[in-house]
Amino acid sequence: MATTYKSLLNEDSVSNKTLLHESIPLTGTIVSGTYADNNIKNYSHGIFQSVYDYPYLSSSANHVFDITCGYSSNSSLSKSAGGASGYFSETDQKKKINVYNELAQVLVGYDATGSIQEFDEDGDITAGGTKIQEAYFLNFARLLTKDEIKKGTFTLQFQTGGANNAVAGILSIADTNAQNSYKVNSPAGEYGILKVSAKAGTADTTHTVGDAIGLLYYQAGIAVITASAFTNFGPRDTTVAAWNSLIASQFLSGNALSGNCDALRNRFYNVTYNNTTELNSTIYFCRANHNEFNYSTNPTYLSSSQIVVKENPQDNPISYITTVGLYSSDNELLAVAKLSEPIKKDPTTELNFRVRLDY
Amino acid sequence: MGFLDNSGDIILDAVLTDTGRFRLAKGDGSFKIAKFALGDDEINYGSYNTGSTSGSAYYDLDILQTPILEAFTNNTSMMKTKLISIPRTDLLYLPILKINTQGNQNGQTAEVQQVSTSASFFVAVDTTTAFSFQNVNGVIDGTATGHSNSYIRVDQGLDTTDISYAFAIDQQLKETQYRLELDSRLGQIATVGNAASSLNPAFIDDDQVAMYFVSLGTDDTYVKNNTNTSDAANVAGQIIKGPRGTYMQFTMQASTELQTSNFLFTKLGSTFNMLKNDGTLVSSVKYIDTFVRVSGVTTGYSLDIPVRFIKQ
Repeated sequence: MATTYKSLLNEDSVSNKTLLHESIPLTGTIVSGTYADNNIKNYSHGIFQSVYDYPYLSSSANHVFDITCGYSSNSSLSKSAGGASGYFSETDQKKKINVYNELAQVLVGYDATGSIQEFDEDGDITAGGTKIQEAYFLNFARLLTKDEIKKGTFTLQFQTGGANNAVAGILSIADTNAQNSYKVNSPAGEYGILKVSAKAGTADTTHTVGDAIGLLYYQAGIAVITASAFTNFGPRDTTVAAWNSLIASQFLSGNALSGNCDALRNRFYNVTYNNTTELNSTIYFCRANHNEFNYSTNPTYLSSSQIVVKENPQDNPISYITTVGLYSSDNELLAVAKLSEPIKKDPTTELNFRVRLDY
Repeated sequence: MGFLDNSGDIILDAVLTDTGRFRLAKGDGSFKIAKFALGDDEINYGSYNTGSTSGSAYYDLDILQTPILEAFTNNTSMMKTKLISIPRTDLLYLPILKINTQGNQNGQTAEVQQVSTSASFFVAVDTTTAFSFQNVNGVIDGTATGHSNSYIRVDQGLDTTDISYAFAIDQQLKETQYRLELDSRLGQIATVGNAASSLNPAFIDDDQVAMYFVSLGTDDTYVKNNTNTSDAANVAGQIIKGPRGTYMQFTMQASTELQTSNFLFTKLGSTFNMLKNDGTLVSSVKYIDTFVRVSGVTTGYSLDIPVRFIKQ
């Protein structure tokens, strides 16, 4: 009996999972400078700011990350808590507290009473300790982060002083050794502690290497950086009036939320990390034995019903494979694989095609 | 689609088809790969040059250099021609499918079995059109009450005079199941002799193409053994020159939409002038061109039959 389909047996397929990583480098000049801020999208609500890799009105633009900031209602910056230094306006304070609460409830969760918990500097929530009550949030787009940020690969650098072309200081923050030590007590998945990993220049006198100044949520793709990290940051470029006005004291205080975002963005020097894509694959081994698939139904295969690649019956039949089709039991074509060049098949050869479908 | 890079290692470019994605999205377990087939869509075996003076190693040089297109995701666009497995290696001839254009057999009228001057079969979608063009070559009455002699017959066998038609075809080469594909928006496959009895499709894919399967033994009105071993081709309704296998016959019923609306004719078709049997010209006849694909499930050979749905 002539047949065109061959059933796949249990041993002809195998499923596995592969983690695929890509390196994501992002330079600060894209974040501020290259496109004269045409790649920065500000919204009328003023709650966050979006950074694109190209002027965002272009269809070529890709969303890279969002910047926002906020503080807890318990923060000293909160007027309702007795402070006033963070107060810019009633509306602005409400936005900042709302942003903080929204991200805290998603990333940290609730305590036993149902109250939103604050970000904890060392991740040990139950032990109390230092809380991050004022924070900047960098929310990286899924386009770049994919399934998650690879642990131990994240480095974020800020310019702590000097002009654009004469950097006076750089503060590097990284999740050093996070692949071996990370936290799992967040409702949003795993997270690591961001610490000062290097310091160059003299502008920043507050930090020492090893200081914990933030949290990085790997699956959520969100970096939480305490606002105190930016204490003593000088203006990045004193020659640019707009930047000159964004002095350190305006980080999270004394300015509207969008102004706070500008202050951070204009000190952005570099960020690199590896993303992770989880590929679930099924590999189908399509085995063509020596006595299989040697004839073709291609109309050009026959001339007056005679096989054109044979001159007499004793010649071996020959076929050329260009395509592997994977079918359901009711003969519906579910997947197709193309070979980059034709492969000759005759009764003297056996072929195994390894077709991998990723999900 | 572009060509695949064939300058280095052999790579395999795999994608889910639109149907595959659809079934995966349904999440009802219908996405289950159970079998595979191999295809040779891009290959032109006419390039196999047995006359090469450089020797047999050069016979398939042109074939092996054929650039291969990237995979299409449209399930009906791929795997048009499949490779087949036949244990015997000494076959010199393989069966084909061929439209039977020989009339006057088994009660059918000659005119329907003759390919029309435009090399198409016509399906009249309503009674007015069917009445106007009755007895015109190639016109099938596509109404539910269509006359019984309007049908298409496809014969299977070895179309060669090198082997006598008096021999029975090798059982390995005999087609026992046929697959038919037709745009379900335009019509349905129907039983010969009873156009009102349409065949239920096995499924309709996302491109609205309906798939039908008919088998020898279970669908006797569609698939029959061709037991004629006494008449040469072009005699007594036979079209296959050599040993004969089975034949498959069907007619078509126009869809309700084509019968009652001009929407699809405007969207997918155009108009033309068509002669009646008495030589009268009918102008501005609306039409939609499509085809019925008939494939042998066992032997894999397929045939596209051009069909024009017409409405006066």
